[in-house]
This record gives sequence, structure tokens and C-alpha cells, in this order.
Amino acid sequence: MKTLAIPSFLLALTMLLAGCEKDNYEPPKSTLTGRVVYQNQPIGVRSNGVQLELWQRGYQLFTKIPVYVDQDGSFSASLFDGDYQLVRLRGNGPWVDNTDTIKVQVRGTATVEVPVQPYYVVKNEMIQKSGNAVTATAKIDPVVTSRAIERVTLYLGSTTIVDANNNAGTHNLTGTALADLSKTLSFSVTVPASLANKEYAFARIGVKTVGVAEMLYSPVQKVALK
Amino acid sequence: MKRIYKYLLIAAALLPASACKEEWLERQPPNIILEEQVWNDSRMIVSLLANYYDRLPAHSQIDAGWQEFAAYDEAMWSGNDDARNNIVSYPFERWRLWDYSLIRDINLALENIEKYGVKLTPAQKTQFSAELRFLRAYQYFELVKRMGGVPLVTKQLIYDFSGNPSPLQLPRNKEEEVYDFIAAELDAIKDNLGNTGSNTRANKFTALALKSRAMLYAGSIAKYNNLLGAPITTPGGEVGIPAARAKDYYTKSLEASREIINTGGYSLYRSNPNLGENFYEALTKKVNNPEVILAKDFLTAKDKRHSFSYDNIARNVREDNLSSSNVTPVLNLVEAYEYLDGSSGELKTRTANNSDFIYYDKLSDIFNNKDARLYGTVIYPGTSFKGVEVQIQAGVMVWNGNAYQTVESNTLASNYTDGKLLTGASGPQRSQTEVSNTGFYLRKYIDPAPMSSTRGIRSDMWWVRFRLGEILLNAAEAAFELGQTADALTYVNRVRERAGFAPNSLKDLTLAKLQNERRVELAFEDHRVWDLMRWRQAHEVWNGSPNNTNAMMYALYPYRVVRPGDSRDGKYVFVKMVAPRFRAPRQFQLGNYYSSIDQNVINNNPKIVRNPFH
Repeated sequence: MKTLAIPSFLLALTMLLAGCEKDNYEPPKSTLTGRVVYQNQPIGVRSNGVQLELWQRGYQLFTKIPVYVDQDGSFSASLFDGDYQLVRLRGNGPWVDNTDTIKVQVRGTATVEVPVQPYYVVKNEMIQKSGNAVTATAKIDPVVTSRAIERVTLYLGSTTIVDANNNAGTHNLTGTALADLSKTLSFSVTVPASLANKEYAFARIGVKTVGVAEMLYSPVQKVALK
Repeated sequence: MKRIYKYLLIAAALLPASACKEEWLERQPPNIILEEQVWNDSRMIVSLLANYYDRLPAHSQIDAGWQEFAAYDEAMWSGNDDARNNIVSYPFERWRLWDYSLIRDINLALENIEKYGVKLTPAQKTQFSAELRFLRAYQYFELVKRMGGVPLVTKQLIYDFSGNPSPLQLPRNKEEEVYDFIAAELDAIKDNLGNTGSNTRANKFTALALKSRAMLYAGSIAKYNNLLGAPITTPGGEVGIPAARAKDYYTKSLEASREIINTGGYSLYRSNPNLGENFYEALTKKVNNPEVILAKDFLTAKDKRHSFSYDNIARNVREDNLSSSNVTPVLNLVEAYEYLDGSSGELKTRTANNSDFIYYDKLSDIFNNKDARLYGTVIYPGTSFKGVEVQIQAGVMVWNGNAYQTVESNTLASNYTDGKLLTGASGPQRSQTEVSNTGFYLRKYIDPAPMSSTRGIRSDMWWVRFRLGEILLNAAEAAFELGQTADALTYVNRVRERAGFAPNSLKDLTLAKLQNERRVELAFEDHRVWDLMRWRQAHEVWNGSPNNTNAMMYALYPYRVVRPGDSRDGKYVFVKMVAPRFRAPRQFQLGNYYSSIDQNVINNNPKIVRNPFH
């Protein structure tokens, strides 16, 4: 009896182990990467703010895979190989709604560029320290003017993540200051006490369109404070 | 032998026949209630109605979802996790509701009461049907305020097994159609409801109260959505109401409110000469309360009770050894309560030139001459609950010759080296949980009954759904929007007079004043977030910016001054700060105005269009 017990225990153990392997799915190994672009330039947004949607038909579970756009306009997702549909969610990003589906084939790796038409873009931005303030100049280039411009803001922050929600200081331009967009806009933010003793800070300029929650930002710049 | 056999055979053959006479196989099952039984017994119908009342959806009320009181700008969370202090942005599905099971049950009940209810008198049938339709209107209001227009289903949908489910797939109605449906239903049933004098079952004035609120919501959406730079709409009108409808809706709301005010027989609760206690009792006194129009009642003796007091009572008054102090009001709300002379409610902690603290003899002195509703809503330093002082003191300020040094302790109710109190038995504490993080505790809806804050006994405090105070403010707002400012002032000043203001304390009116009045009068009554939504202000008030004082939650820490030999020794000073445990500024996005519809709903019914932004 005893001699039988040990082999049968081992047998049960191997079966359990074998079972474990059979039961589990492989994690997705393929990756999809891409950028949101306008005129081949990536669009800067707020991190964790703007979302694209991936859909895959043909399975019982039909629900979106949200893909968040990074603040430099890039995005990535780990997926299974397959055919996906990439959708630009309406009213979500700082660009004109475009519900055309982009077909994406993922086999191993895939790269996709998502073209969008922004309402306004930031051009020729120059940000530097002057005295105890950070000053900036920029031009706003209207691309699609079906919606009015609401505000242009210089954001100053202590980390590379700088946006409307993460910042240490701001300077807003609204109303009449934005009446003539052919002019160069100037900004100035006094360096706040929390940054005064730092070697450097980070800054970027954002433009807000009426009725669109998310803003479009220029690339983050490192500003030497000392 | 042969004969006996024959008789036996006959007897055996007769046996089943006799059994059949007793209907052995056709007895009433003791554990299944049939439709015929329910709809012919008024007591069973009443218990069914009780079930439907109980299933009305809640966002934040004392028996369900009360944690969300701490997710806006009335309070923050001082309990055991930081979820509600660290909401980076409200998720799009946050207020999602697609509960058609209650609608279906009500539709079935309405059909079955007609089909099976033969023993009911016509009057009974009319009354029960009216009450069911009130509940259905209430449910549709809860749906439309969260989701925008939803499919209006008023009869049961039956599948014919043809393989084609499209007759069951109803598209969304327009947002205005749902509000119009609610108004029409309430008008049709208000005179049939009966239940006169009841404040736990719907009567005529309950229906009018729901109409007053729903029409006010519709009116302000029609007006303020279209004042946005880019109104939130869908092409089919499922979301967004034309601006032209605003006047109509405000008028309907005002008419409904007026009927309650003039003929309802309700009055503001004014039984206690102590105005602060009076306001507290206005919501918590369950007998002889002339103000409450509809409440969800609880009763310990029948095991219908909740743990709101256990979870939220002030720390040193708690009777259990766990929990307490979860939802703690923030300084933002406290400062929204004006001074009785009509000046801004901002608390004065520093001298005018900001060179020194202002020194107060008693902890409560800084709150002197404040709106009495502050006392009735919030437990602030220097006040008591259940006859026990709620000891709120963060620490001491010790003068070292040049400046003050702050000394705080992690031990509650500890003494400083001078033998006097260092940190109060109720904190506040910067990092400890289950002690206030803001320096305030909740009073509104906390049960004053002995042992009601223990897990064993719990509380049977009721939840007020409608009361005259709200109706007066609804009337004031609707009248103001219609340009009838004199009437609006009469209504709002009645509410303010009860709070201790002089008669006719407001001489001129702005929407901002009315908004603040609603904020302070109706705090912790599940109004704030919905009000800011319908005014289309939520995305500006809570814009997610750390520089925005409305989006950040503040605390007030009191300290005792230790400065021997000086006249200021033993006095109290106050420090305002961002609440130490508060993390992410409140962020309400445009996509939050209407919650997202579950993908499963869209998959099952392709006619459902999505809400904007998601």
C-alpha cells in the first residue's frame, strides 16, 4: 500500500503541473506603437488625458481597448496578433473629430501614424530664463478655425511632466490678448518659491480650444535656472 | 375468495377518485405567491411598493454611496484609504445608471394590477397605479440626470422568438422628451396619489416636489448648456435641450414649487430656539417635522438600519472601537457659510497686514456670528455632540523669543509639558486615519440616539429626499431666472431667516448668491454635484489645477499658544492649509456631464448612440 501511495502522489502532482500550463493563456507579446501627427510632427498632449480606442471584431467579447496617448504624442499597446481597428474618439483630443477607422494589422510589431487636424498649433516657441522669471514667446498657427481659441498658457513645472494638471506656475493669455494671432505672444512667469533653488525647470506652452477639454502642447523644454 | 378479490379490486379502483375529490394534486403551494393573490390584496401591494421605494437609485445617501460625500467639495476622506482624496479625474462611467429592471417591474405591476386585480376597488387601483407611476417618473429622472435621454419604455417588452430582436431595440429618446414625460406623468397622477400627510409615501406634494426639481434641472440645462462656448449636444438631441425651452421649464418648476408652498401645509422647522440645533433637527427629527416632504425611513426594531453614524461620528464621541470620522467636512464648505451680517464667510486667522495671527480666547470664537446652518451641518472646534465636547486641537504654538514653533503629537488627548492639552481627543491629525484630517466633523445626519454609532445597534436616522427648504430655493432660482426677482428674494430670504439672518437679509440677487445658498443649505443632501452639472460649472470649479482653490480641499488646524508671561498665552490661533492627506485636485471633464453608456448595452442594442466625448 505504501509503495503505491508515493507514485500515485507524484502522478497527481505532475497532472496538476501539466494542468497549470494548459489552463493559462500566453500574455500578449506583440506591440503596437505609434504617434499622433500633424504634418509629420507629433502632437503634444496631457499625459493620461487623451485616449484612442482599439477594437477587434470576431470575438464574443466586444469591448474597447483604451490606448492612452503619452504627452509627446506617442502611444503603445501590448496586443495579440490580429486585425484591429483604431478609432479617434470624438471630442477627446485637441483636434477635429474624425471618425474614419484606421485598420491596423499586428503581426509581431506594428507601427501606425494617426493623422489628425488640430484646431491650433504652437509654433516658434522660445522659452528662457530672464531675471527671476521664465519668459517665453510663441506664435499660434490656426489650422482649423471652426472653433474659437479660448486660452494660451505657459506652464512651468519641476518635472518633465508639465501640463494643466501638473505645474508649479502658469501665465494665461485670454480674450483680447488673442485677438490677433498673427502676432507673436509673450509670456512671463515668476519662478515660484518651490523652484527657486533648483538648477533647472521644465516648461511648455498649451493652447485651449473652446469646447474641447484637452489642450495641445508644445514639446517640453528644459529651462536652466542657474 | 373470488368475491373478496372482486370487492378489493373495486375499492382499489375507487381510491384515486376519492383522493381527487380532496384535490391532492392541486393544493396551493405555501411558498409561491401567485399574481392573483398579490393584486387582490392591498397589504401585499403595499409591501411590493415598499420594495420599489427601497430600490430607487442613490448616488450619495446615508445608506448607500455615502462615501461619495467625500469626493466633491463638501468633504474629504479621513478613513482608511486615500481613494477619494486622490481622484486624478472622475471616470466617465462614474454616474452611470442603466437600471431598467426597476422600470420593467413597475411596468409589469401596472399591467398586472389591471389584469388580475378584480377584488380591488377602482379607487384603490387608481391610487396604486398612480404611486407606481410616481416611482417610474422618479427612476426616469434619475436616469436622465446621469445619462441624458434614455429610451422611454412604458410597457413590458415581449420577445416573439422570431429570431429578430429589433422590435425590442428602442433608440434613445431626446433629453427634453424624457423631462417632458416626467412632467406629464406627474401632472396626470398628482391628484390620484392619496397618502395625504405621509412623508414616507408619495402624495400630491411629493409629486410636485419631484416636478419642481426635475423641471429646474431641465430649465438650467436648456439655458446654461447653450451658454457654453461649445454646447454639449448630440445631433439627435439625445443630449442637450434647445435654449428656447428654458423659460417653459422654469415656469413649470416655479408653478409646482408655488403650489407646494401655498397649499401644501408644510413649514420650515423652527421648533428649537437654538438656531444651530434647530437646523440640525430640521433634518434629523422624525416626529412632528413639518418640513420633510419625502424621506426614506429606517427602524432599528425592524432591522432596517444603516451604519452611517458608526462610520462618520466624531472620533472622541464614538461608541465603537473602530471606524468613525470617515467623511470630514473641508474648510471650503465651512467658509461658504456667510457671517450673519452678510459678509463673506472667509475665516479670519491672520491680521489684515498678514503680520501675525489673530488670537481668540475660545476655540469657537472664530466661528462667532456665522450662519447657524454651519453649526447644524458641521462639528467645528469648541462645539459638542451628544453632550460631549468634540475636542479639536492640532497642537500648541510655542514662542521661542522670535517666532512660534509648532508642536503636535501623534497621541490623541495628550498633554504638553505645561500639563495642559496638546492634541485633542479628536485630532486633527496630519496622517493618522479615522481622525479628522481637516479639523472638522460631520453633524448633519449623525444619529444623536445612544449607542447608534455601534456596529451592534446602528442607526435608524432617515434620509430626506425632498423638504420645503429645497423647494423654496428651487422656487427662488426659477423665479430669478424668469426675472421675478422680488418673488425670488422673498423665497430665499425665508430660508435665510431660519438660519439666523435678519428678515429680508438679501436685497439684490445674483445667480452666484443662490448657488451659494443651495450649497450651504443642502450640503450632504446629494445636491452639490448635480447642481454644478446642470449649471455647467463643474468643469470650471473643479478644473484639476493645483492652483485653483476650489479644486483643492483645505483644512483648519487650531493651536493653543504657549507664551508664558504674555497676554496671548493660552489663547488660540488657527492655520489654514491644504488638507495634508488631500492628493489630487478635483477634476471634472467635459465628458463627465453625461456618463458613458456601457458597451454591453450598445452591443445588445445598436440603436443606442454614445454620449459625447466617449
